[in-house]
Amino acid sequence: MEVVNVKEHEKYKGVYIVELEDGSTRLATVNLAPGKRVYGERLFKWGELELREWNPYRSKLAAALLKGLEELPIQRGHRILYLGAATGTTPSHVSDIVGLEGKVYALDVAPRVMRELVAVCETRPNMFPLLNDARKPYEYRHIVELVDGIYADVAQPEQAAIVADNADYFLKENGYLLLAIKARSIDVTKEPSEVFKHEINVLKERGFEIVDMVHLEPFDKDHAMVYARYRPQK
Amino acid sequence: MKIYVVQHFTGSYALNENKDVVAFVHGPKGLDDMVEEALKIERGEPTAAYLRLLEKLKEMGINEIAVETNEEAKTATAKGFDAKVEPANPIARYFREHVAEIAVDTGFVKSIEDFYNLLHEFTIETTRRKLRRAAQKRDLLAAQAIRAIDDIDKTTNLFAARLREWYSLHFPELDDLVREHEDYVRIVAELGHRDNITVENLVKLGFSEEKAKKIAEAAKKSMGADYPEFDIEPMQRLARITLELYKLRRDLSDYIAQVMKEVAPNITALVGPLLGARLISLAGGLEELAFMPASTIQVLGAEKALFRALRTGGKPPKHGVIFQYPDIHRSPRWQRGKIARALAAKLAIAAKVDYFTGRFIGDKLKEALRKRIEEIKRIYAKPPKRKKEEVKPAKPAKRPPRRGRRGGKRKGRGGRR
Repeated sequence: MEVVNVKEHEKYKGVYIVELEDGSTRLATVNLAPGKRVYGERLFKWGELELREWNPYRSKLAAALLKGLEELPIQRGHRILYLGAATGTTPSHVSDIVGLEGKVYALDVAPRVMRELVAVCETRPNMFPLLNDARKPYEYRHIVELVDGIYADVAQPEQAAIVADNADYFLKENGYLLLAIKARSIDVTKEPSEVFKHEINVLKERGFEIVDMVHLEPFDKDHAMVYARYRPQK
Repeated sequence: MKIYVVQHFTGSYALNENKDVVAFVHGPKGLDDMVEEALKIERGEPTAAYLRLLEKLKEMGINEIAVETNEEAKTATAKGFDAKVEPANPIARYFREHVAEIAVDTGFVKSIEDFYNLLHEFTIETTRRKLRRAAQKRDLLAAQAIRAIDDIDKTTNLFAARLREWYSLHFPELDDLVREHEDYVRIVAELGHRDNITVENLVKLGFSEEKAKKIAEAAKKSMGADYPEFDIEPMQRLARITLELYKLRRDLSDYIAQVMKEVAPNITALVGPLLGARLISLAGGLEELAFMPASTIQVLGAEKALFRALRTGGKPPKHGVIFQYPDIHRSPRWQRGKIARALAAKLAIAAKVDYFTGRFIGDKLKEALRKRIEEIKRIYAKPPKRKKEEVKPAKPAKRPPRRGRRGGKRKGRGGRR
């Protein structure tokens, strides 16, 4: 299928909209590692640009954007701590957006997914793999610098506390947090809305101000993306 | 004035409350050593840079410092500092905000760009090394392989028994003449129809002249039904596959022997690769086995009997899978418990040495065990006299005694595999 038109997203900088022959549109980012795919996504050539399709069914951040997240705080040049990087699907798009001036610290505990993540990091000089446990930020305090934002997709019952601990070590004041909440991995017995409320309360207690929250249906069931700012009181 | 000490993979840095770097000691610049030192920080061990920085601070007359972890504080306190633990303190956060510039200013790297290139190389190498370590849990390979062997044993027994019944329709006399399953299966697989069972062919398969004569004779006079090749062929196919399984079993046990020699040389020296692998498999891994007390190792594999004993207040089992150790099952009953206890104690040591150091002390352990076994055999040569007044049970049973099969059956079984 041929590309008909490409334009930058009017709301989210660094994100592109690709219009295809059949009239459908796709999200995309500019490929930082031209010619290389990360998860079998499509590559589009548009003049000088090479764009990578950003699949909202594979990436919760893309889903959140399609659901109209208030703004995309991640911008060119930012340093990001990415908790729960898995095989690098979303982190690679974050790496595209922040560009070579930006940095992505991509952390995951599981050796199984880390094998693939290291391969992604090798082709992207702005990505740094960390095989560590997000619950123990002191075990990587000697590697990670202060960051502009934390992106967390850790699917742990105590995830709000985990991100807050990491924020204490690594997040700038007024830095942002994007937290993907999967209600079903926190408590299957509770209503998703209740779970979201609880997580948000924990964040508030730990010095976060909630900016926005979007539900990710129909891309992911019982998922929400929370966007918050870190304002620790001294 | 209080000084804040912050760890980084490039070294240890000391900053004052005004956020000035007052002292620093860089770590090694070679990637290999850099990774090793950084892993120490992760494990909470002091790095060479940290220790040197503390000395420097001492010379500067500094007494009061703040660090981020208990381990750092402990090291500093031992050197006479008044050390406070303040994780994620504002100075440490400031350091992390400007770490690239600080690394340039203190001369660890020439430029910000160099810093991030190094960081990239460093994180990838560190992660690779950790991955390698995670992948090197080869003890689990041995544990899975031994389970596969147990599965094969079950399967070959089942197939051999089926084949005996099936082929007996054609040649019933063979069942009694060849007791060994594998020999029986080989005859069916290689020769098939009893017309092919001749002295010459049997000798080729490795049977003795005498035995071959007996079998060939029986084949000639057999009272089994005479089937065409068409009906023999399916039996032969099953026999061939079963024969393959016997071969696979041998290959697997060679494989286990090799892996065990690498991952657990001391355990292997004591009890051989197969029993050793079985112990690792039951424990769930070499690490788990290394953390077990000897008393647990002694009854590994006899959990059913052990828990029954605990429940009913009866006698606990003397041994689990270590029953397979020749000195245990070949000894008289009254010595077995003592030998099992001695062996388990040596195994506990062997597992710890295998897991933590990998040094080889297997020959010493084996020698000590042999001496102890000889001692047991000498001192307890005769069976103990029966105590006459023994009117048990002394311990009141918490639950009513079990119905059905008596607990006594467990004796000498070595638990389940």
